Amino acid sequence: MSAADPSAQPVTAAPGRRHGRLRAGAARLAMTTLAGLLLAGIVHIATVLLIPTLSQHDAAHAYGALGAAGRAELVTVDGGTAPAVLEAERQAVTAVCAYDLAGGPLRVMARTGTLPLGITLHRRTGGVLYAITDRAAIRGVLEFIVLTEAQHDERVADDEEGETSRELRVISDSERGLVVIRVLAKQASDRPDAEALAAGVQCGPAS
Amino acid sequence: MRILDLAYILGLGAGLGLASAHWAVSARPAIGKVEVGSWAAWPGSGNRDIDPYMRAFLSRGVHLPLGAGEGLELIAQRSDGGEPLDARCRYRISGATPPTRGWTLGATDASGASFSPVLARAGFSDAELVRGEDGAISIVAAASPQAGNWLPLPLHGRFQLRLRLYDTPISSQTGETQAANLPRITRVDCR
Repeated sequence: MSAADPSAQPVTAAPGRRHGRLRAGAARLAMTTLAGLLLAGIVHIATVLLIPTLSQHDAAHAYGALGAAGRAELVTVDGGTAPAVLEAERQAVTAVCAYDLAGGPLRVMARTGTLPLGITLHRRTGGVLYAITDRAAIRGVLEFIVLTEAQHDERVADDEEGETSRELRVISDSERGLVVIRVLAKQASDRPDAEALAAGVQCGPAS
Repeated sequence: MRILDLAYILGLGAGLGLASAHWAVSARPAIGKVEVGSWAAWPGSGNRDIDPYMRAFLSRGVHLPLGAGEGLELIAQRSDGGEPLDARCRYRISGATPPTRGWTLGATDASGASFSPVLARAGFSDAELVRGEDGAISIVAAASPQAGNWLPLPLHGRFQLRLRLYDTPISSQTGETQAANLPRITRVDCR
């Protein structure tokens, strides 16, 4: 018996050791896979959040130089130099004016006509801050001032004591963005009027 | 072995994370989608509080979405019967449109690009349409010429219909809109 024991031990212990090693390997694979999936979740969220900041092909980059002369510029003209708007509405005319509030507030003024006109403020990193249509126009003029929170506080402090300011003030939470003017040309013959309305929008520094 | 483990974790994390992020923002995201009949809309895309997936999708190209107070865009990829819209078929678009200052209906390819100027007409506006006595709309989308309001389609391939409603009260309550208030898309026949 005593001679048989030492020879029997390696035979019974080897499968046990192999099982143990296999179990440890599987546990290790499961742990590393779990860690990989956790990291994948973090990478996924970080990538989705960073795309708008890092993108070089968005509207803010494409149209960042438009409107420097104080007037909105058309972006839906065939053969134009500005990159085309994706998923563009063929029956609407679009004009854009880029703004940077670092130099002071911006005044946007549009004359309205019979065609539906809408003005939207697009944040540089995505999202529409404000939208207004020509139904809000007073005596055929749609006018508002875009300013940062700090500039708004300054303007309120400068207001005459006891007087209510009549100007429409829109607070932008980002210093840079786009003013987008869209005019619907309901018929092909309306297109010249729509282009004149959109391109006639002024966007200059507010006094 | 530890280096191998670390490489596996980093490879899996970076690969899966980047691939899933690319997949999630390569098309309009399912998050924020509102479906009314055959039509789908993303009313949050024109808001100040846009969701991160839609924001990432829009910033990957030159997109200028309609503002929430400006209007609403509805996209249909299927007919009312549930079949994908195919240019080899004829479709009748009929019924009512919600109250708006103006609307347009157009056909585009799967990426949203208009078929014009290849096709003579890219879409209709509410002012260009010939209506029935009851005021309802009736448009036939087909590759071959049709009597009445004909919306030309290319000879083959999948397409989308885009209904843009300008200055409409439903942009703020899209989820509560009933399918009966939007045009129906009925497949007539196929080649």
